[in-house]
Amino acid sequence: MAADVKPFIGSKASPHQESEAEELRKEHLMLDPMPRDEMNQMVMEAMTTTTRKWWAWVIGLGLAVAVLLFGAWGYMIATGMGVAGIRRPVYWGIFIVTFVFWIGISHAGTFVSAILRVFKAEFRRPFTRAAELMTTFGLAAGALYPLIHLGRVWVFYWMVPYPNARWLWPNFRSALVWDFLAITTYLLSSTIYLFLPLIPDMAMARDRSTGWRHFIYKLLALGWRGTEAEWFRLRKAISIFAFAIIPVMFSVHTIVSWDFAVSMVSGWQSSIFGPYFIIGAILSGISAVVTILYILRSTMKNMDYFIRKEHFDALGKLILIFSMSWAYFFFNEYILAWYGGDEALKQVLTLHATGPSAWVWYTMLICNVAIPWLFLWNKKVRRTPWLMFIITLLVNVGMYAERYTIIPLTLGHQRSPFDWGIYNPTIIEVSIALGTLCLFIFLYLIASRIIPLVPVWEVQEGQMSHTLRKIGKTEIPSVTELE
Amino acid sequence: METNVRMILFKEDQVDQASEAIETLHHHGISDKDISVISGVPFSEKILGRPMSWTRVPQIAVAGALFGFIIAMLLNFLVPNLYKLSVGGMPLTPIPTSIVVTFELTMLGLLISTFLGVFIEMLSPSFGPKGYHPKISDGYIGILFNCPIHADEDTCFELQDLGAEIVDVAEVKQP
Repeated sequence: MAADVKPFIGSKASPHQESEAEELRKEHLMLDPMPRDEMNQMVMEAMTTTTRKWWAWVIGLGLAVAVLLFGAWGYMIATGMGVAGIRRPVYWGIFIVTFVFWIGISHAGTFVSAILRVFKAEFRRPFTRAAELMTTFGLAAGALYPLIHLGRVWVFYWMVPYPNARWLWPNFRSALVWDFLAITTYLLSSTIYLFLPLIPDMAMARDRSTGWRHFIYKLLALGWRGTEAEWFRLRKAISIFAFAIIPVMFSVHTIVSWDFAVSMVSGWQSSIFGPYFIIGAILSGISAVVTILYILRSTMKNMDYFIRKEHFDALGKLILIFSMSWAYFFFNEYILAWYGGDEALKQVLTLHATGPSAWVWYTMLICNVAIPWLFLWNKKVRRTPWLMFIITLLVNVGMYAERYTIIPLTLGHQRSPFDWGIYNPTIIEVSIALGTLCLFIFLYLIASRIIPLVPVWEVQEGQMSHTLRKIGKTEIPSVTELE
Repeated sequence: METNVRMILFKEDQVDQASEAIETLHHHGISDKDISVISGVPFSEKILGRPMSWTRVPQIAVAGALFGFIIAMLLNFLVPNLYKLSVGGMPLTPIPTSIVVTFELTMLGLLISTFLGVFIEMLSPSFGPKGYHPKISDGYIGILFNCPIHADEDTCFELQDLGAEIVDVAEVKQP
């Protein structure tokens, strides 16, 4: 069916209609079907092609992770937390900023895969896995920070809910314990959510590989044959996950926001911090998906067939919507704080906009609001992948600036002026932050050659359910519900 | 009655023929329990005219959620009573903060058990004729059936007329 989809349902097509259909096929992946074996071949080829350049990146990034992340972290463990720039009055610095940033990035996979799946947004099909991988690796990078920030990392197990020798349990009323539970829940569930739809693709890879690859894929395919019962239970499980992981995703960033909001710090104690953080996380996550898709499309074989301009266009619209939503929450938060007349809070807001680090605040507003609003309304911009790459990179710079503004810039100017201070991150902190970025890219690079990045069965299923339908004098894409 | 395990393949665009083939098998007295359909993309039972599949994954998921909920209750309300620490007049077992822990652990139980449900069912023995062909992951639809030896030839001819590709018995194997 996918191999020779009839271009029209309704009547015989004229040459003009044929050319229109050709245009639509070029435009939409779902209307441009290819035999499944060819698609499998393309995905396998993309996965098994490793150039010298790729190896150079892997080795370079591996070294960067070893030096920037583990080297700097090891030095900090051996020397003490004094090598970090966090000191009175700013005890939360780049470690927490980067932690919130990575947890935010991790919202991409769930949003793209779960929410768009629930709402049957068809454009999601070719890149759900690329986004889910971001979630898993983003969380892996983020989950390092509570350990890094802990200082005495060898006692990390004190966070785990079990009693010590005196039968003292962790305090379950603490937002930090909620954090531990939420991140653990999200990391486990998003990893499983990545794995479940991967099973049929693992079977596909199993059937086309030899040696160590065959062994791994055979193991991970769990004996998949594609029987009716297997498909039925897989769909049930994916459906349960798609619905259940959405509230978990909301809870994670809400709880991260509560790390701040439950305290009595001016600028942090806010009832809308939960939704404000979630919107920011989704904005940052979707932007990161676009950035990754551009890199995949430009560097991996055959990806231009699967990732098309239509996908950048659709994601660009979402980024514009979430940028507007973020601005709404930001303004809501800002105006009430400004109007409330609390002197300490007013000082914090004035400092953000006019203090020595005001450039961070303006970077946040320019990258999160001005740039998306100025450019993303334009269809041509949304359909230009390299422009989208730059815009989405800038959005994430803006989101990092937002977290920097909320955390160290706010903490430095609290209620007692004698206790004001400026936070200067040290090279160790910056190195660790860059190290986790390298770790994320490193893991992604490795995974891109082990895991089929395109869910081929989902793409084929989508192509089978799409067709062109002639209504009046024109043809429109039409979708059939196969489920 | 002696039977052979037979496998026929239809291309991805021959869904109608595949459903007709199942109908043909029924006419030859081969019941649904002697037929298995395997495919590279999911087809609902209604499309191929097959009986509904079953799974216990939702029940296992609910059981897991209940387990997570009970653990959360123990952590929230039993643990603080094991070693009472009164802090600044704060309640020992406040309900609002317990909701957070309860939610996270219930969801964790639900999601992990969903996966375990899939995992257990995947590794459990399945009913019906077994076999596999690598063409399935190329989008082919495979129909496996236990064919009575005496009707083997006639059935195969009829299925071939529908466009089926008959797989040699020796090629029908496990993945």
